[in-house]
Amino acid sequence: MTQTSTTPIIEVRGLGKNFVVKRTVFGRPLASVGAVDAVTLKLMPGETLAIVGESGCGKSTLGRLLMRLIKPSAGEVLIDGQDVTNISHSAMREQRRHVQLIFQDPYASLNPRMTIAQTIAEPLMLHNIVPANQRAKRVAELLEMVGLRPETANRYPHEFSGGQRQRVVIARALASEPKAIICDEAVSALDVSIQAQVLNLLKDLQKRLGLAFVFISHDLGVVKHIADRVAVMYLGKVVEMGTADDIFAAPRHPYTRALLSAIPVAAPPSHQRAKAARLHGDLPSPLSPPEGCRLHTRCPYARPECKSVDMKLDVEANGHANTCAFWRELPAQDAAEIAREPRNPKLEKLFAAFEAMAAKAANRPAQTVAGG
Amino acid sequence: MSTSQHTLETQSARSVRADDASASVLEVNNLRVVFEGDTRTVTAVDGVSFSVKKGRTLAIVGESGSGKSVTSLAVMRLLPEHSARISGSVNFDGRQLLDETKSGMRSLRGNRLAMIFQEPMTSLNPSHTVGDQIEEVILRHRRMSKKEATERAIAMLKLVRIPSPETRYHQYPHNLSGGMRQRVMIAMALACDPELLIADEPTTALDVTIQAQVLELMRELQQKTGTAIVLITHDLGVVAESCDDVIVMYAGQVVEQCSVEELFTFPQHPYTVGLLGSLPRLDEKREQLVAITGTVPDMANPPSGCRFQARCPFRIEKCAEMPELMDVTDGHFSRCWRAPMQDLVP
Repeated sequence: MTQTSTTPIIEVRGLGKNFVVKRTVFGRPLASVGAVDAVTLKLMPGETLAIVGESGCGKSTLGRLLMRLIKPSAGEVLIDGQDVTNISHSAMREQRRHVQLIFQDPYASLNPRMTIAQTIAEPLMLHNIVPANQRAKRVAELLEMVGLRPETANRYPHEFSGGQRQRVVIARALASEPKAIICDEAVSALDVSIQAQVLNLLKDLQKRLGLAFVFISHDLGVVKHIADRVAVMYLGKVVEMGTADDIFAAPRHPYTRALLSAIPVAAPPSHQRAKAARLHGDLPSPLSPPEGCRLHTRCPYARPECKSVDMKLDVEANGHANTCAFWRELPAQDAAEIAREPRNPKLEKLFAAFEAMAAKAANRPAQTVAGG
Repeated sequence: MSTSQHTLETQSARSVRADDASASVLEVNNLRVVFEGDTRTVTAVDGVSFSVKKGRTLAIVGESGSGKSVTSLAVMRLLPEHSARISGSVNFDGRQLLDETKSGMRSLRGNRLAMIFQEPMTSLNPSHTVGDQIEEVILRHRRMSKKEATERAIAMLKLVRIPSPETRYHQYPHNLSGGMRQRVMIAMALACDPELLIADEPTTALDVTIQAQVLELMRELQQKTGTAIVLITHDLGVVAESCDDVIVMYAGQVVEQCSVEELFTFPQHPYTVGLLGSLPRLDEKREQLVAITGTVPDMANPPSGCRFQARCPFRIEKCAEMPELMDVTDGHFSRCWRAPMQDLVP
């Protein structure tokens, strides 16, 4: 296969993963959880694909499957056009260079006994990217790239704050010159002001290096900010997939709608939007997911047919896909309730002033604020 | 039956105590908490004052390390006495909580003061059924037979909308989902009709759809019982949707204090401006988020003058002096020399 820019960096087809949760005395599986079920998607170069959903929906398992950190039970994984579903350990290790992973807790992902220079140099050694005598220089470059001072290279992780540690983790991921980075709740543990710094950094790096991101998150505000395309998961299934603009402006699946309307909005109480119908009850046990549409036990629009309907992604020409067979019949005004937060022009000016002054202080050109 | 009678009794007793609805249930004045370690001394809370009225919800917002949780633990007298030095005054319904004896506090906690924490699994005892744990609170503070307490516990489970409460009563915390555990915590906290509920990040560990359910439940119960709530959170969205008043904390101090409406309409402290600007919002696509540069100051060695100055784009020379919390416009307080912020906008 010739490698052109239209080859997806990661492609998965009919991907599934079962975890055995109970065995007989002789080790025969008794019960298993379908963590990921029949997922098909592509990650193109330079794009950001977000995978969203609540805890237990399988988004992290999917992330691990995408870089073949774990072996799928069904389906296949292609990295850069090459089928890696069944390749050997050592061959996979070679491939890992192209797809890196960032986790939620930066402290747990850094070795406390290694200086950050050693940490960042490790992938350089492992993949023999830079000759030994130039490694220190490359580490300094990488640190600068993520906004850390190169003088800090000989410090240990405990000397850094959470946001700085996450920058170190990003620098290490960049060291192997990957084509894609999978960010598993990469900014969830950070305070909002620090989270904004790291998100800005990720966006900036993407622009400069042409990276692709798979952004796994439960925070739809963050996803809206960073993603080009979004896949929404519920109980191991992708229930809706489309461009970020489509998903946020006109969500189709009742689950996406409920998820969007459940996010508390930081707007004055007098400007709060009306609420779309809530999901009732709790997540069913993934050990025995409901028959038919998996959402029917909690869906505000459930009807008798939903118990037997086949959950199939109905893909339209523009790529917007969703599994709700009856989305065209859902109340229309409900979608409109995913309304916009009203913008206060005075407040926008204040944000702009804050940013302009901050930029001046840091001696860099002011960022343009879209729609300010 | 006797259970409901009892509830009526406590409620009428309370209405005598607080017939004036505008009276503050809790008044905190100039609270300071200093932790003394072997090598360094940290002032975690530095002169915090606020009050909460009956039936109102006050939000305390701030990032990690701002002192919001320590404030609430100090009010409940739950900080270790050998290492935390607490000064100031905490007035709860005419009683000075900081001067109460240990047993005096024990009879108040769980009874007239209640608290919910972030992680329901660590707050519940894994080796007792949830029913027993709710009952324990009731039996500790009310003269009731075991049977009446059981009835009351089941009624509480029903109140927080746990399906089939009679079955759940006999189950252990590990049998319940995260959202249900937090409901059990709420049931336990409200079992004795407290006048004040302190909720420390009650929904942070929950998924958004469950968070929405739990916040709605808390709002409804407050309307029924008139409990005053102090909600501690880092999530400005939660503040906007479920609180009446708000204080914003930064590095152990209150930097802004106002109604929720005012905070989100036009904040008066640069820290709040940065915080609101750094939130990715659902209604717009920005290329870059407004980011607050730098990190919070070291609390063992805070800078003299305004604590936000090193990160503040609006700083002037005067910021080397510590500003007081000043009234900017009708009850909207800000600890900033450059307030009102209207003057900074062209």
